[in-house]
Amino acid sequence: MSALERILSEFGSAAATAPARLAAAESLRAHGLPTRRDENWRYANLRSLEAVRSFLPAPEPTVSPALPPALPGFSRLVFIDGHPQAEYSLPDAALLASLRGGVARARATAPLPLAAAGDGRLGLIARMFAPDPLTLHVSGRLALELVLIATGSAGGNYLDLEVQLAAGAQLDLVERHLGSAGPTAMSCVQLDLRLAEHSQLTHTRLLQCAPDALYYDTLAVTVAADGDYRLRQVAAGGQTTRSTAEVRLSGRDARVQIRALATAHGPQVCDALFTVLHEAPGTRSDQLFRGIASERAHVACSADVQVAPSAKGARVLQSLRGLIDGAGAEVDLRPRLTINTDEVQAAHGATTGRLDEDLLFYLLSRGLSPGDARSLLKWAFLAEALNAIDLPPLRRDAGLAAAARLADIPATELLQ
Amino acid sequence: MSVPLLQIHDLSASAGGTPVLHGVSLEVNAGEVHAIMGPNGSGKSTLAHVLAGRPGYLITGGTVRFDGADLLALPAEERARAGLFLGFQYPVEIPGVSNAYMLKAALNARRRHLGEQDIDAFDFLNLVRGRMRTMHIDDALLTRGVNEGFSGGEKKRNEILQMLVLEPRLALLDETDSGLDIDALKIVGQGINSLRAADRAVVVITHYQRLLDYVVPDQVHVLARGRIVRSGDRDLAVELERRGYDWLLEAAAASA
Repeated sequence: MSALERILSEFGSAAATAPARLAAAESLRAHGLPTRRDENWRYANLRSLEAVRSFLPAPEPTVSPALPPALPGFSRLVFIDGHPQAEYSLPDAALLASLRGGVARARATAPLPLAAAGDGRLGLIARMFAPDPLTLHVSGRLALELVLIATGSAGGNYLDLEVQLAAGAQLDLVERHLGSAGPTAMSCVQLDLRLAEHSQLTHTRLLQCAPDALYYDTLAVTVAADGDYRLRQVAAGGQTTRSTAEVRLSGRDARVQIRALATAHGPQVCDALFTVLHEAPGTRSDQLFRGIASERAHVACSADVQVAPSAKGARVLQSLRGLIDGAGAEVDLRPRLTINTDEVQAAHGATTGRLDEDLLFYLLSRGLSPGDARSLLKWAFLAEALNAIDLPPLRRDAGLAAAARLADIPATELLQ
Repeated sequence: MSVPLLQIHDLSASAGGTPVLHGVSLEVNAGEVHAIMGPNGSGKSTLAHVLAGRPGYLITGGTVRFDGADLLALPAEERARAGLFLGFQYPVEIPGVSNAYMLKAALNARRRHLGEQDIDAFDFLNLVRGRMRTMHIDDALLTRGVNEGFSGGEKKRNEILQMLVLEPRLALLDETDSGLDIDALKIVGQGINSLRAADRAVVVITHYQRLLDYVVPDQVHVLARGRIVRSGDRDLAVELERRGYDWLLEAAAASA
């Protein structure tokens, strides 16, 4: 049986009744899984889906997780193998209970994730199987950390989360993915973020999956007038990592800033698609991606910006850079910019290359070893994306995660 | 009689298949300052980079001994650790790596080579800040990326700062004076002079005599068409300033 047939069969065996789950399954049945023939999935490692033994959710965990230190000032929600864990959540279980309450109110009529017929199809799997779909309503200010740990038990690790920011609300959302379900199980995340007028969301994602992890996420963001969405994403783990993000700037002067970096080595495949839709006047997008592929790894990033006729005065910045650091390594960058109106300011660039020999010689001429010099230059390559993470402890963790892929880089000193 | 710190004998090298150096011979003793002058394209920078071990050059003949060892057998980083410093004509920018980090890594690489322990963080800051004062460099530049956003003059002063921190046995300064205004030239000159010591040497590569007003050389050499065609004392630099290089090129051509 194909992966799609198994997904649908296992979903049937679970006898789900929630309308949102059933609608997601119906959509997946109608549109199927993406393939490498789909333009936006050319570089994704979809074959790993065929290796997944079971798409049913992993059972409730029985192990105690090793958690990273809590972030000062943040509430925390911990998920183990896709199951929210009230006992590890901060400040207490009340937050989790309130999220579940949100589900009951919202999900019956919730629309499907982004472009269910297109790039959002993997998100449908999370919607079908996530054991505890959650909805978070934020008014005022909130700092929330989501820690998602895969322990390796059989079955999928799913998260299906909606976040709705009220007008003027501010949210610092941190999302950490740790561990691995193993090479025959997947982690699959569906996030739906809605920013009302004048709201602000800083969203930091650290994909620190174990080297054998299969990880897929789907992120749909809608930003209303004068809303401000900032995404910082560090992908530094996983045998297969695929991120699919779509940001819809639907209100006047809505803004998005994306700072993403990816490091991969060995046989790893790290692929990302960032789509930004400018739909209203005065909207702004600013995307920066830095990726390093070492040894025989493959890093890919597609950045698709579409400016609608209604988006007069839009401003678009896009900078994609890739570094190839191995004879068999590959970096594929695909900037795409479609402008359907006048009065748009746009600047974009994409370059892929190897380490600059002049820079390398400069460091060697100061006595640094070739290994240290190369590591330092790779670090420098990532610094711009990394430095966009405002929280020092988080920046440090992100740096250490990225540095773990950069040989013997002395990250602890560099991060001081 | 002591062995010269640097002994270049009949050195020939090519770049991209084109011969650039045609049998350069030069000896520099510890405690001396030498100036190498010459017109554009004469091979001055090539000589400096060949000595520092830059890839891309093919040594086609000759030998170079540094402190008694075969310099050409060493990779670039080992030449640096052994005490050879190249001051770049065009220092590169490395955003994301702070000056402080690079400088400390470089200093510790040299200290380890000398059998010393890594420098303590507090001692390092004291050392660097003292040298920064000598070079009139603002403390804030220490935490900036290497040469990131520096003006041309700041980059050159930063090169000299690195030299002062690393305290090399031999400094090769490739047109460190180019692009400097008078004040910066004076500061750079003071920096170079502060390194002068009985166990060190400096080779200044320059087009012009003006740096030599501040850094008085023991010997001046003229490199032309890949050869040293004339050597003399500082008066030679003054004469070159007055007469240019043509007369030497003609003389060299006549004797070739």
